[in-house]
Amino acid sequence: MDWKAIANGPWLWVCAFISVAIGLYQSAYFLKKAVFILKNHANYTDKDIIKVVRGAVITAFGPIVAEIFVMIALVVTISPAFAFQREGIGVGSVFYELLMVENAATAIGETFGGEDFSIMGFAMVLLVANVSCIGWPLGAAFFTRKLGTIRDKISGGDISFLGVISICATLGVFGFYAAQRLIKGGGLMASVIGGMILAMFFFKLADWIHMPRLKEWALGLAMFGGMIIGKLVAG
Amino acid sequence: MNTQKSDINVDIFKNEYLEPVHKVGFWTSIGVSIAMLLPTIFLLVFFEVFPPTSAIWKGLLLGFTYSIPFFFIEPIAYYAIYGDAGNYMSMTSGNISNLRLPCAAVAQEVAGVQEGTRVGNLIATIGIAVSIILGVLGVFLGAIATGWISNFFSDWVKDAFSTYLLPAVFGAVFGQFTLRGWKYAPVALVLSIIPMFFNAPAYITIPIAVFGTIIFGRIAYTNWGWGKPKSFVTEELPDVEKA
Repeated sequence: MDWKAIANGPWLWVCAFISVAIGLYQSAYFLKKAVFILKNHANYTDKDIIKVVRGAVITAFGPIVAEIFVMIALVVTISPAFAFQREGIGVGSVFYELLMVENAATAIGETFGGEDFSIMGFAMVLLVANVSCIGWPLGAAFFTRKLGTIRDKISGGDISFLGVISICATLGVFGFYAAQRLIKGGGLMASVIGGMILAMFFFKLADWIHMPRLKEWALGLAMFGGMIIGKLVAG
Repeated sequence: MNTQKSDINVDIFKNEYLEPVHKVGFWTSIGVSIAMLLPTIFLLVFFEVFPPTSAIWKGLLLGFTYSIPFFFIEPIAYYAIYGDAGNYMSMTSGNISNLRLPCAAVAQEVAGVQEGTRVGNLIATIGIAVSIILGVLGVFLGAIATGWISNFFSDWVKDAFSTYLLPAVFGAVFGQFTLRGWKYAPVALVLSIIPMFFNAPAYITIPIAVFGTIIFGRIAYTNWGWGKPKSFVTEELPDVEKA
């Protein structure tokens, strides 16, 4: 049985579209709810909402293009349908997927991308990649209601401290990911530092020149600038 | 943009927003979980292929070793930033640090709202939802047009995107939040770097960095008044308890 032919079959596209449809419905529903509440209970206008959406669109562009480039590995070695099934909705990070694919192939004694990769290896990849990440959506289903309580316990119900928590949590998360690349030096370090300085510059510039619209572009410009600096330094 | 805005009444927020969000979030998260099992079920039903149990256990052990700690750490660490709807969406669609959080952060920055407030949660929801819809479109194009995409861009551009965009995203978001809390930024970096010198895995280092910085923030807030507001996000905050 040619595993590549099976992996490219319409059945896997059907599976992909089912999970993508659920994920898109969820996002569209939350988006609609949030816009409705903001417009009806917080005096937001369509113009205000469009500004927010535009900022998100500009920021999302770079990471999505990057994801497409990295997912080429999945498309080529497994199949386009598999790449879409895993990347559309599910877990998403291509780096995680590649790790799981490698784990699955190793577990059955085959080599991902190698001559010995068989239909059994493909079956393992489907199972391990999907089941290993099922804790995220299941956890969201059963524990999201509890997260507010945990956060309130940490903050003691103090709204201004909630802002501090958010800033500290974001700095902690991105401090970790930035530090991981900083200590490697070279182009990676340059792209982190470049992105950081450019983001700070563009956000400040928006305030200095009284041009709030620049903030919609700030992160997008900073990430492209940081990327180019990193690549130029690496040569 | 936010000068005439008001925060949302806590009852309206709970009844008209949070309740439906939890209801839809619960069922869609369950739906996505079930949908993740479909490829394996379809392969078994239509092609009668199912891997040996011993290999499954071995593969899942390898997979879960990496992912289980993050099932707990990520929602708790990120919740303060994006709220309930953001958690449902991020946990079902992934790409949190490289895509969801930056979009939520920019959306909040553009709107000029404070994280952790009810309005802040709603704005983050818009940012994340937009990133998911665009992400699905982008990934679909990527899946069906790989050959064209590969030929269209030079190797230099592909390498720049594959290797250097992600670090730049992390640096840029860190820079953005350094502007909002520059006193905490060195602490976050130091707490991230020290465990790395001891080769601590990510599931140890991330909680140290996140919760260590939050604890530092608490100490600074209580003892030195760091982060206590002089002016609030919104002009009027009628009953700003918690979101």
